[in-house]
Amino acid sequence: MIDADQRAVMEETVRGAIADALARADEGADVGAVLARLGWLDLLDGEPGDAVGIVFGALGATNASATALDDVLVSALGREPRADIAVLLPQFAAWDPPGRIDAGNLYARSLATARAATASEMLVVCGTASEPWLLAVPMTVSEVRAVRGIDPDAGFHEVRVQGSAAGATRLDPAAWRSALALGRRAVAHQIAGASRAMLDLARTHAMERVQFGRPIARFQTVRHRLADALVAVEALEATLTAAREEPNPDTAALAKAVAGRTARTVAAHCQQVLAGIGFTTEHPFHRFLKRTMALEGLFGSADEIVLDVGRQLLAARSVPTLIEL
Amino acid sequence: MHGPKGSRSAIELADYRAALHAWLDANHEELAPRYPPPGTLDDHIAQMQRVKSILFEAGWMQLGWPERVGGRGGSPMLRTELGAAIAARDLTDPGLFSLIEVLAPTLIDFAPPELAAEVVPRLLSGAEIWCQGFSEPDTGSDLASLRCRAVPEGDARTASTWVINGQKVWTSLAQYADRCVMLTRTGPADSRHRGITAFFVDMDTPGITVAPIEMINGELEFAEVFFDDVVVPADRMLGELNGGWAVAMSILPYERSSCFWQRVAYLYRRLQRLVDVAPDDDRAAEVVGNAYLQLHALRARSRATQHRLAEGGTLGAETSIDKVLVATAEQTTYDAVRRLLPGRVEMDDGLAGEVWRGEYLYSRSATIYGGTAEVQRNIIARRLLELGSDE
Repeated sequence: MIDADQRAVMEETVRGAIADALARADEGADVGAVLARLGWLDLLDGEPGDAVGIVFGALGATNASATALDDVLVSALGREPRADIAVLLPQFAAWDPPGRIDAGNLYARSLATARAATASEMLVVCGTASEPWLLAVPMTVSEVRAVRGIDPDAGFHEVRVQGSAAGATRLDPAAWRSALALGRRAVAHQIAGASRAMLDLARTHAMERVQFGRPIARFQTVRHRLADALVAVEALEATLTAAREEPNPDTAALAKAVAGRTARTVAAHCQQVLAGIGFTTEHPFHRFLKRTMALEGLFGSADEIVLDVGRQLLAARSVPTLIEL
Repeated sequence: MHGPKGSRSAIELADYRAALHAWLDANHEELAPRYPPPGTLDDHIAQMQRVKSILFEAGWMQLGWPERVGGRGGSPMLRTELGAAIAARDLTDPGLFSLIEVLAPTLIDFAPPELAAEVVPRLLSGAEIWCQGFSEPDTGSDLASLRCRAVPEGDARTASTWVINGQKVWTSLAQYADRCVMLTRTGPADSRHRGITAFFVDMDTPGITVAPIEMINGELEFAEVFFDDVVVPADRMLGELNGGWAVAMSILPYERSSCFWQRVAYLYRRLQRLVDVAPDDDRAAEVVGNAYLQLHALRARSRATQHRLAEGGTLGAETSIDKVLVATAEQTTYDAVRRLLPGRVEMDDGLAGEVWRGEYLYSRSATIYGGTAEVQRNIIARRLLELGSDE
């Protein structure tokens, strides 16, 4: 376990290194190489919970694109992460295994990171959450298309796989659940980093923008919007801490749901405070807004997770507290 | 480190929690309310004092309090756990029970040691009830404008008695209270926070009149308190002369840590009661799922705050975030009741209706008491976001 001070230093180091790489690159920094140099895979292997917090928080804060999510999932599924192994993600706004096996054949059509364009092999989880199968297929049986979507820079791809299901092995449902949980935490950390970045941009604007003879930060409506955004960000960070200290599928699911809600709250308040400039591509706000919109759908958005959690509470007629002092 | 699972203190706390719950299970019959629900405020007060005396007799109540005031020492988290366990079992109202957390630390930190040693055990054991006299008719959010005056009989430095004149309002449990921790004006009228002094006043002192106020839910939980030439010994001064602002501010860490954790336990219990009877459909799933999400975020935040305090950190403006989260989660929880049990709050004259109606109405105060939602956001903007003055 890494202590809080070490974690803060590492976060600062990773964020600084990524920001430097982004600032130096003329076109497209290789953030993956920066992470590799910083020992990302060793950290992921030793302390996965801390690793996703440190690295994905920094990715969110810098709006960098990386394919570290593949490493998180490959590792959680019990394989050795490598730069040429990608993972097929669940479909947008869902978290069922993305693949289907029918009469000895694998069928899948879902999202992947930019790694799908260069990988030689892809892991596809098939079947259902309670009876999952794992299959490693060569990229030669896949059709890969870059998704422009709302955030072309995020690097998402659509992958269609159709091929033999030979070699599929039973996957422990617990392994799928913990891969999903760690993936959710990674994305929630990224959203947290991006949400704080949006708030920083809006705060700076509020302090500098002068109207009616004073900075707009002096107006109470503006102040209260930014205060509500900070409350949301801090609450999200607390749920991420809880998910790190009590790692299980429930704390991870709730952290991901809080992340989705937070991104919406923060984006709405910050865009309103930024007003005209936040509606342009001249100001960096739009990049964070679009990135959080893309990320919110990974492994289920807040609305779907809340509905699922609520169904579980009603089915069990029980309200577990999940975390203790 | 307290936080991480598996650390020494976390294990000790988990052991303590298990022992506490086992004891509460074993003594359930003795602790359970004796009155037919929902009970009157008189019933609730009697129940709270009875529970405290049983817990004191068994030694639980003293844990987490310093030995110099009759406690048994240990981390303040022990008493936080106790309060939460009591709230989660509906043995007492957490709002009333957690007044201890607001009042006892003030005596411990600011009273002459012999006074604290004499009276704190009486509060813990249920022998006494205390109240807090801060707010005044013209002093709501702007506490530093208070006017209730204390005048020395002779020179302020050497006087053996002080005389208090003025009025307090929204004083919870004043009509039951044996003592009052109060703030008075001792400096010039415009001296704001520099001219305030705290006193510990016996409520049976001649000149004190209590007039209960009926709250929106029909309860008489708080009162107006009038002070007419109330004579108080100088050794009842808490802290320094004109040092009352520091006394008032010192309460914040307790109010925003232990009290909130107890409130969170109470709200989980309320959501459980809703989930027990809510319809099993997707609309209900969405509503309870949303309330649960907010409670979880609040619980996570409150937990982090307690750990920061236990590790020796000081709590300040950042607890305004906890306050906003508590208020929002509480109102969301009761809004969920109203949405999923149509008519229960509005039209049901049965027991469930009485209980939910009273609690629903009470929950509307969550964004008002202890610093309004607006004051909290002002603090967050100025102190945490450093947006500068808003004047």
